[in-house]
This record gives sequence, structure tokens and C-alpha cells, in this order.
Amino acid sequence: MTLLSRLCALTVCAAGCLTPLAAFSHAALIEAETAQAVRLHAFYDTGKPMSHAQVIIYAPDNPVSAWGQGVTDRDGRLEFVLGSETGRWSFQVRQSGHGAMVHVDVTDDAPVVVATGGAQSWGQRLLMVALVAWGALGTALFALTRRKGRDASA
Amino acid sequence: MHLPDGIVPVEMALAGYACSAGLVAVALHRIKARPDPQAEIPRVAMLTTVFFAASLAAVPVPPTTVHLMLAGLMGVMLGWFAVPAIMVGLFLQAVLFGHGGLTTLGLNGLILCLPALLALRLWQQIGGRWPDLAAFGAGAGAVVVAIAIFAAIVLTGLPAELDARAERAAVQIFALAHLPLALAEGVIVLVLLRVLRRIEPRLLPDG
Repeated sequence: MTLLSRLCALTVCAAGCLTPLAAFSHAALIEAETAQAVRLHAFYDTGKPMSHAQVIIYAPDNPVSAWGQGVTDRDGRLEFVLGSETGRWSFQVRQSGHGAMVHVDVTDDAPVVVATGGAQSWGQRLLMVALVAWGALGTALFALTRRKGRDASA
Repeated sequence: MHLPDGIVPVEMALAGYACSAGLVAVALHRIKARPDPQAEIPRVAMLTTVFFAASLAAVPVPPTTVHLMLAGLMGVMLGWFAVPAIMVGLFLQAVLFGHGGLTTLGLNGLILCLPALLALRLWQQIGGRWPDLAAFGAGAGAVVVAIAIFAAIVLTGLPAELDARAERAAVQIFALAHLPLALAEGVIVLVLLRVLRRIEPRLLPDG
């Protein structure tokens, strides 16, 4: 092989290596942007998480039809990025006939939770039971007193 | 086992109110026809409190948690008085504890009042001959019937966007978890009526 032919072969090989081939030309492109996300934590009033509960999301412009769905994880948590619409987003978490609805006001600045359920303490609950029991006892005694009065007059 | 607000369609909630209002009207009519309705008020007041407080007694039955319902006990002990007593108890539970919704109060009333009346019917039919069997059947049967009504309402009112298969599976697990509760409530009614028979037979319901 002459020197000229060797140079030609080398040039062809170099061109082949440097030229991007269609089969190996998948370029990776990334677009990054910030977005508002909502993190839900669903649990029963006993403190037990609502594991694998279904979540229905309603957008501000259409509170009747669901905007999206999701499922909570084992700890009753779910995170997702909202759409661009500002306003009141609604989230319903439900499982076997139990559930709750929460509303989130999304503004241009940040989402603000405006309504959610809160578990009562045992002290509050016992106080309410005691009040109802007191009312029932009063009702019972009132009825008994009236009955005794009626019997005495008869 | 109370339906919260927002779980069922508005039409179902309104139908629940209409049906429970009819049931309360019938119950009040039957109560008024009794010779001395006021004589029952002390017992009704005390049992309403027991029913109201019972929903706080949560018992973990993996993978869920159940709480006492006492519909069978209310039906057997109070007769037709059980209907207004349960409705008042449910209203207080919804307002004070957040157990059940106000929009679903009618449906929740049906879920517990109908089993209570069935328990009463069972007690009246066979309580005289087999009091223990009737008491256990009334307590346990009321839980089973209540679960069946609850499941029927939940599955009928499922929104289209929900995964119906997953919800059905969750309801089945929830219903199975209530079987121990059914046995427990059967034993509660059985023991209570036995104790009353020995200590104070005058307090026993009409069999």
C-alpha cells in the first residue's frame, strides 16, 4: 500500500469516527423549572395512617370533575405537583367509606391550607362525654321527679 | 362506622334524610301510642349516653380499627325509642367528635336504626322461648346488618373517577374486620340481659 492510499484510509476512518451517526445520536435535554407541590398526610382520628387510600383532586376551575387521582403510600402520604391554575384546590382522601376533604388555596406565592380536620385530645373527648352524661342524667332525674309527683297527686 | 361528609352523592344524602325522617315519624307515632311513654325516658336518656360514648371505644382489628355500635342493644332495650335515641346520639357524635357527617346524618341513622328494629323484632319473636339465643342474635345480627347496609351505600355511591375495584376490596376487608365486633356485641347483649334477669327483672325489655 502506498503512502497516499494509507493517508486516504486514515482520513476515511477519522471522518467515520467523528461524524455523528444517526443510530447513536440520542441527545439528552433537560428543562428545569420550579413548581408548587402539595404534600398530603391522611390518617384516622385514632392516629393510624390511611395507607393506600385513594385521593381525588379537584381543580379550582372545575370542582365537579376530578382533575387527577392518586394513592397514598404506606404512611398515608402523597406528594404531587399542582397545575398552573391559582385558586382553591380540593383533595378528597377516601378508603372503605371513610375519608375527608381538604382545601388548599394556591396563590402565586405559595399554597395555603385553609381547612383541615384536627384530632381531639382524650381530655376533650372525655369532657364532652361527661357533659352529655350529665345532660342525660338530668333528663332521667327530671322524668323520674315528674312521675313521682304525678303518682303522689293521684 | 359512620359515613362522613362528602363521601356519598348529594341525592343519596337527601334520600337518607327523607327515609330517616319517615322512620322517626313512625317511631314517634308508635311511642305516642304506648300507655305511659314518659316512664321510659330515664332508661332512654341513660342508654343514649352509653350509645354516644361507645363510638370512642376504638378496638384495633388489623388492618383496621372498629368501634362499638350497640344498635342491637338499643333495639332490644328501648324498642321504638331506639330510633330517636340513635338519631340524637349520632347528631352529638357528628357535632362533638366529628364521627360521621351532618349531611350524612340521615344515612347513618338508617345504617343503625334499621338493624336496631330488626334486633327488636328478633327479640320479640323468640326472646320468650330462647332468651339467650335471641339476645346474642340481636347483638351480633345488628352489627352484620349494619355493615351490609353501610357497604351497600358506599358501593352504590362510588364516584366514577374512583378505582371501584380497590374500594370494593377495602370495603370487604373492613366488613371482615367487623366480624369479631359482631361476636363481641352479641356477648354484650347476652350478658347484660342475663344480669338484668337475675338482678332486676323489671328492667328487662318486653319479650
